[in-house]
Amino acid sequence: MMGRRLLLWLDRMVAMTAKELKQLSRDPVLLIVIVYFFTVDIYVAGSGIQMDLKQAAIVVMDHDHSAASRDLIYRFRSPYFDLKGEISSEHEARELLDRGDVLAVLDIPADFQRDLMRGKSISVQMQVDASNATLGTLATTYAGQIVARFGQEQAEERLGLTEAQLQAVPVIQDRHRVYYNPNQTDPWFMSISELLTVITMLSLMLPAAAAVREKERGTIEQLAVSPLTPAQILFPKVLAMGMIILLGTAVSLFLVILPAFHLPIKGSLVLFFIVTALYVFATSGLGLFIATLSHNLGQVMMLVILIMMPLLLLSGAWTPPEAMPEALRIAMIFSPLSYFIEMGYGILLKGAGVAILWDSMLGLTLLGIVIFSFGVWRFKRQFN
Amino acid sequence: MNISRIKAIAFKEWREILRDRLFFTMAFVVPVMTLLVLGYGLSLDVEHIPFSVIDYDKSAMSRDYLHRFIDSRYFDFQGEAAGERELDDLLADSRIRFAIIVPPRFQEQLLSGRPVAVQSLIDGVFPYRTQVSKGYVAAINANFSAELLSRHIAQTRGIREEQAAALVAPVRLESRYLYNQAIRSRWSMSSGLIMLVLMFAPPFLTALGVVRERENGSIYNIYASTVSRGEFILGKLLPYIAISALNILILWWLVIELFGAPFKGSLLFFFPASLIFVVCTTGIGLLVSLLVRTQAAAALLTMVITFIPAMLFSGLLVPVESMDRATQIEAHLFPAVYYLNIVWGSFLKGLGWSALWGNVMSLLIYAAIIWTISLLGFHKRPRK
Repeated sequence: MMGRRLLLWLDRMVAMTAKELKQLSRDPVLLIVIVYFFTVDIYVAGSGIQMDLKQAAIVVMDHDHSAASRDLIYRFRSPYFDLKGEISSEHEARELLDRGDVLAVLDIPADFQRDLMRGKSISVQMQVDASNATLGTLATTYAGQIVARFGQEQAEERLGLTEAQLQAVPVIQDRHRVYYNPNQTDPWFMSISELLTVITMLSLMLPAAAAVREKERGTIEQLAVSPLTPAQILFPKVLAMGMIILLGTAVSLFLVILPAFHLPIKGSLVLFFIVTALYVFATSGLGLFIATLSHNLGQVMMLVILIMMPLLLLSGAWTPPEAMPEALRIAMIFSPLSYFIEMGYGILLKGAGVAILWDSMLGLTLLGIVIFSFGVWRFKRQFN
Repeated sequence: MNISRIKAIAFKEWREILRDRLFFTMAFVVPVMTLLVLGYGLSLDVEHIPFSVIDYDKSAMSRDYLHRFIDSRYFDFQGEAAGERELDDLLADSRIRFAIIVPPRFQEQLLSGRPVAVQSLIDGVFPYRTQVSKGYVAAINANFSAELLSRHIAQTRGIREEQAAALVAPVRLESRYLYNQAIRSRWSMSSGLIMLVLMFAPPFLTALGVVRERENGSIYNIYASTVSRGEFILGKLLPYIAISALNILILWWLVIELFGAPFKGSLLFFFPASLIFVVCTTGIGLLVSLLVRTQAAAALLTMVITFIPAMLFSGLLVPVESMDRATQIEAHLFPAVYYLNIVWGSFLKGLGWSALWGNVMSLLIYAAIIWTISLLGFHKRPRK
């Protein structure tokens, strides 16, 4: 008796899941969405943004015109800077900066070479356009390094220090090691961050779309008179869409991120897919909730955007938690994406395992149960 | 063109917008929410980096050295670690982003005039933050080294310490940050986000609004009426432009009040210029609506052709000059580049018509072209 019931239950699940997959395969808009986001979108995000200073336009006001000043000026070159020539007046400098034609103006004082020879301390001025704060910071950092290097060489020359003697002065030698992404390859970070965001968006959108379609076409009435329970109707939708999302994740990981960006996967892929499955299940609860609020696919998309925004804000996808205001850091406990991001970076880049990520996994599981039950409860209420 | 017909259509459209509660919410909530989410979520200020240390030396000098990190506002000390295994785990769990290991005999080596290599470990998951953290570490090390070295030279050569300091570091770079003296990334980001929001929200609403009419079939009423296509488009889009005009003011106010960005320019220039931009982007929405049939497809296509270019190819994150040639041309095909100059010019630089007229003209030409194409593409008798 028990066995037959179980078989019947399984039979219905398989039939309903197959039905969901078939319906999805007939929806060109959703299919394009899935393919686009798992391939093109991730490629564009991964290769688009490189947050480093490249060929920043700079001009100089050289009041000295000496060998020393020229030596310094010519150090401002590719890849960080692009020397655009010389100007003579403060007024001109201001105009170029105002118009955004140059990022910085370097001002070398008169008597630069003479003071250098006499061992006087000199300051070189740089005006930086900081209307884009990031670039302003980077420009100053790199310019500072260039000037420091120049100063150091001058000092060594004047102190008459040889390479051997340099080994015999008390200085700190900076030996830094960058973990997980030794060359700060932006695409590794950007593509993973985008992949996790896409998974979030689709696990909100696809189950919601599958549920709303029944409403749109009125087939929900047929389901209501069938012997299926609400759980038997909802669960196959989540299952089918979850399978599609996992498949898409695999495609995007193995066919886009690995070949295009050479991401070295440090941790266990099995663990990553388990965690992804857990996450899709947690978020699809919100998707079902969206389905109860909307009447057509257009509205689903609008609500997905509305729910995605706070999820993203509270996730640490772009900004790590320590850089956020205190209140937001506490609110992150309620964002499933924050756990997923932590585990996603942890597994793929850091090679972290269950021993380190257990707390995030536990958090996501608990939150997932709450969210999913909420979604099912809302849907059941509307359904009956 | 008949004014009363335009008015009638505009009024009809306005009533439809008001009636659809979800749509109306979207019109005002999404712009504000995007500003808040990205303004707070995409913080590029690198501060409070959590870090840990291992001090194998435990001397007066090593304590002095480590305190330069502990006392810095850029770092947030998380206590001393017991061993290097613990550091690895802390890094993998994202509890710290940076660690520094002072070797044994640190003080002894330095006092006897020999260099010491200090190992630091940096989390590379967020490439931009890693780059900046590396800069901080290098600067603290260089400072400490310069002090050691000048003390050493003062002793060995029998000169005063100030003289020795000038000898060791003869050239200093003094940076002046224009437009954003404290280089707050929040100022640049929040004001720049006005561009992002006005780039995607107006076309999004417009495309949905126009496509909805087609999806419902109510467009046949228009086809059958005496309204000309110019009257229809103008009347149809006026409410959307009005909503966006209101949004310009709301966003402008929020950026100043909430994010504390200064507005140095004139609203009398900024508002009309923004309005021209909104007319441009509304035109993009109209163009999209001609290409697709369903609201879902309209929402997606708009996001793809507006959000991504505004984020990646506008100069918001990466300056246009730093892009390669092909990308630069691509960037100038979207109005975002010109408007971003206007936004940053008005907010941070205090510029007006005389400096920014070129950008306004570009937007006007852009608007003219895109509206002409849309007008020609819209037919009252759809061809079979």
